Amino acid sequence: MTKIQINGRELEVDPKQPLIRACHDHGVDVPMYCYHPGLQAVGSCRICQVEVAGAPGQPSRVVAACRTPVSEGMVVQTDTPKAHETRRECLEFLLKNHPLDCPICDKAGECDLQDYSYNEGQGKGRSSEPRRKLHKRKSLGDVIVLDEERCILCSRCVRFFTDVTKKAQLTVEGLGSRSVINTFMDKPLEGNYQGNLADICPVGALTSKKFRFQARVWNLSKSLSTCAECSRGCSISVESLRGKEVKRFRPRYNAAVNQWWMCDTGRHALAPVTRALAPAGAVLGGRLTGAAVRGYNGLEARATEDTLPLVADMLATHSGATLVLSPFATEEEGKAALELARALGARPQFLSPAPNGLKDDLLHTGDPCPNRRGLTELGFEPVEPAALLAQLATAPAAVLAGERVLELVGHDGLAKLPSKLRLVAFDLEAADHACLHMAISVPTHVEKAGHWTNVDGHRGVLNVAVAPPAGVRRLDQSLQTLTRLLAGVSSKA
Amino acid sequence: MKEFPKYLLNRIGVADSHTLRAYRSQGGYQAIEDVLRKPWTQEQVIGVMKDSGLRGRGGAGFPTGMKWSFMPDITKDPRPRYLAVNADESEPGTCKDRVLMERDPHGLIEGCLIACYAMRSKAAYIYVRGEYRLSYNRLQAAIDEARAVGLIGKNILGTDFSCDIWMHKGAGAYICGEETGLMESLEGKRGHPRPKPPFPAGSGLWKSPTTVNHVESIFNAPFIVKNGAEWFKTMGVPKSTGNFLCGISGHVNKPGVYELPFGLTARQIIDEVAGGVWKGRKLKAFFPGGSSTGLLPASMVDVVMDHDSVKAAGSMFGTAAMIVLDETASIPQVMDVTARFYDHESCGQCSQCREGTQWLHQIFRRIAHGKGSPADLDLLVSLSNGMAPAKTICALADAAAIPTLAAVKHFRAEFEECIRLGRDPLRQESKTAPELHEAHA
Repeated sequence: MTKIQINGRELEVDPKQPLIRACHDHGVDVPMYCYHPGLQAVGSCRICQVEVAGAPGQPSRVVAACRTPVSEGMVVQTDTPKAHETRRECLEFLLKNHPLDCPICDKAGECDLQDYSYNEGQGKGRSSEPRRKLHKRKSLGDVIVLDEERCILCSRCVRFFTDVTKKAQLTVEGLGSRSVINTFMDKPLEGNYQGNLADICPVGALTSKKFRFQARVWNLSKSLSTCAECSRGCSISVESLRGKEVKRFRPRYNAAVNQWWMCDTGRHALAPVTRALAPAGAVLGGRLTGAAVRGYNGLEARATEDTLPLVADMLATHSGATLVLSPFATEEEGKAALELARALGARPQFLSPAPNGLKDDLLHTGDPCPNRRGLTELGFEPVEPAALLAQLATAPAAVLAGERVLELVGHDGLAKLPSKLRLVAFDLEAADHACLHMAISVPTHVEKAGHWTNVDGHRGVLNVAVAPPAGVRRLDQSLQTLTRLLAGVSSKA
Repeated sequence: MKEFPKYLLNRIGVADSHTLRAYRSQGGYQAIEDVLRKPWTQEQVIGVMKDSGLRGRGGAGFPTGMKWSFMPDITKDPRPRYLAVNADESEPGTCKDRVLMERDPHGLIEGCLIACYAMRSKAAYIYVRGEYRLSYNRLQAAIDEARAVGLIGKNILGTDFSCDIWMHKGAGAYICGEETGLMESLEGKRGHPRPKPPFPAGSGLWKSPTTVNHVESIFNAPFIVKNGAEWFKTMGVPKSTGNFLCGISGHVNKPGVYELPFGLTARQIIDEVAGGVWKGRKLKAFFPGGSSTGLLPASMVDVVMDHDSVKAAGSMFGTAAMIVLDETASIPQVMDVTARFYDHESCGQCSQCREGTQWLHQIFRRIAHGKGSPADLDLLVSLSNGMAPAKTICALADAAAIPTLAAVKHFRAEFEECIRLGRDPLRQESKTAPELHEAHA
C-alpha cells in the first residue's frame, strides 16, 4: 500500500490504481467523463484534473487524476481554486458545442455533464459562435441511437468494445472538432451487449431505443435486484416509474458477478414483468390476480384463500402427486415447497428448460434457470419439460408452482394431457387446458423479495420493486398455507 | 557577417549528393565504421553525444545525448528497443529536414546506425511526412544501396552489430509529428498522442523502450562522433552548441534554408542572411521558430537566436523556421490563418484542444472579417490560458495558445482597431480560393 494525502487526509491506497480510484475509493468526488473503472484510461477529457503538490521548492501541478499513478507521499488537493478553475475551463470547452437539449434529452437527470456543470461550471456561456450541426438521431443498430451533437467524444463507447467485448465496432472518425463517433463502414452494431453503451455514455449521445422517451429519470424509483434471464444472475437495478410500471433494467456494479455490465437479453426482458392483467372478473387473457377453479363452465374466478382448501382436499384424495417448481423460484419459495413435498410424499423437482444458445464468453451462461444452483443445493432435482410431460401423463395429480411454469413446460404439451390429471398451477397466468383444475396467482420476480444463487454460488437478492396487483399472494405463503391445510386434512382423515 | 565553419550542408553541393558513391567520396560512413571497428562502447557514444551539448532540433531543444541515456539498461530489461526518426516535418514554416533527406539521405542513415548502436536498438523507423515523396524515394533508395553493401542488415561491416532501417509514410496529419502520436501511427493506429507517463523510453513502440529523435538531431550524430565533442562545442553558444538549419520564409528577399551557428540575432539572420525585408519595406513581426512559437514584434528583432534567449524573450526557438512579416501584413489575418491550421490539425482527443482550437479560429476569423467584438480579445486570452500550459495530453493545445497570447500581447492595438472599424484595413485577399477558405470553417 502507498501512503498519500488527499485533501489533508492521510490515506493508504492501492499503488496499482490511478489517483482517481484512490479518490473515489475514499469518498472524494472527482468528476470524470472519459475515465471508467472498467475501461482503459486514456486521459483525454481532462475533467478529472486535481492539484498535486510539486517537489520542495517547485510549484504545484494540475494533473489528470485518471492517468496519474499514486506515489508515496503524494499530496493531492481536489478542492482548491486552481483545481476548480481548471475544471471550469474544461467544462466551458465541453459545453461550447453541446446543444441545450436537456429538456428533451433522456439523459437529463443522470447526466454527468449536467451534474458537473451544475457543481463546477459557470452560469453563463461566453461563446457567441454557432454550435456544431450534426446528426441528431443516427441509428447504430437495433438497440442504440446516436446524437452526434451531444457527444463529448470521451470514447468510452469505443473502448467498451475493444476492452470488454474484445471486438472493435466503434471508432472516432474525423479529426479535431470534426470528430464523430461511428461504426466501421456504417455497419449496424451487433452483439448482445450494446445496451451498455447507453449506460456508460456520460451524456445523452448514446441512448437506448427501447427506453427513449419512456420516462424522465428523476421519476424512476430504483430497487436492487437480480437478472432473471440466465444462471449468471447479474446484479441489476429495477427502475420503475413512480414505483408502478417497470421501465428499465440496468446493471449494478458487482465485482464478483457482472462488474458494470449486463447483456441485452436481460436488459430488455421487460415483457414477463409488465404483462397486462386479465379483464375484470375474467381469469384468462392476461395476468391472473386471484385464483381460478374449474367448474361446469370452465375456469372461474375465486379468491385465493377459498381456493387453497380445495387444493388441499384434492391433493389429500389423489395421493402420489408430482411437485415441480419453476426455475424462477427463490430460495425461500424452495424451502416452502420442500415442506409441501414432504407432506405430499413427492420428490422435489424443478423445471429445467434446455440451454437457449445465448451462451457467450462474457456473462450469459445460456442456462435459463437463474436459481439452478440454489434449488439444487436445497435438494431439488432438475426435470426437463419433455420428461415432465411424460411423468404427468401417468400422474394422478400435480402441483406446478412458480412464475411462468406453464409456459416453460409448454402449452402444446399440456393441452394434450387428459382431464383425469388433477393439475394445480401457481403461475402468473392461467390457461384453459382440460387438465388444469385450479390456478393460483403468484408475483413476478420484481414483485417479491428473496434470493437466487447463481452459477458460481453467489447469492443474488430480489426486492419488491413494484407492488404486486391486488389479490396476488406470495408463493411461499401460499405453499405454507397449503402444507398446513394438508396436515389438517390428513389428521381429520 | 563574419565567416563561420559549416558542416551540415557541405556535402549537398556535389553532383548526385544523394547517392552512396557521392557520400562515400566525402568521407561518408567513416563514423559508423570507426564506432564498430574500434569498437566504441555504447556508453562512449552516448558520452560524446552528451558532452557535445547537442540539443534536439525538433522544437523542444532537449539534449539528445541525455535522451539516449534514458533507455533502460539492457541487462535488466531485455525487451527489444527502437529508434523512431521523426521526419514528419509539418510545422508551418519548417522545410529544413526535407533538404537533408532529399540531398543527403545517407547522412541520416549513418546517424540512425550510430544512434541504434548507442541504444542497442536493432531497428530504426523513419516516419516521413506523406507529402515528401522525393524524400521518401531518395531515403528508400539510399537504404537499399546501403543494405546492398552490408551497411544495413545482419552483421554490419562484419561485426556483430545488426540493424535494420524501415521507412513509414505519414498520411497527412500534423499530429503524427508529435512523438507519441507518431508511435501510435507507426503501430497502425490513429495518430492520437498517448498520455505520458509512461514515457517512450520506458514504454514506446509496441510497449518497448523507444527513442524518438528529430531528423536534424540524428543527422548531427556522425559529425560529433567523427570530430569529437570539443569540436562541436566550438560552434554556437555555450548552452546551444553546433550549427542549426534555419528555414526562413515570408517577406524577405532570399528565403531559403541556411546553415547558421547559434548566437546570431534575428536581425542578422533577416538582414544579412536572407537579404533583408523585401520591397524596401519595414519589418513588422516574425515567428522565430514556426507558427507554434509566439509571434515577436519588430522591436524584438535583436533577440539572439538560441534556445534560451528566444525563450527569455517570451517565445520559442522551435524548429528555427523564421516566418517574416513586413509592415503590410495584417496580424488578425495572419492569426486567422494560423488558428485555422490548429483547428484543422487538432486530433480531437482532449476537450480543451478540440473545442479550444476551433473557438480560437472562430474568434480570429470574425475579427479578421470585421465582425469582432470588444470582449473578444480578453476571451482569446482567457481561452488560451484554459488550453495551456500543459493542460492536455500533448502540446498541440499549447501550440495554438502560445501564438494567440503573443499576438494579442504585442498587437492588441491592431486588433482593437479592426474591431472598432468593423473591417481590417490591412486585409489582403488570400491567393487561395475563397471556397477553400470556407471549406475548413
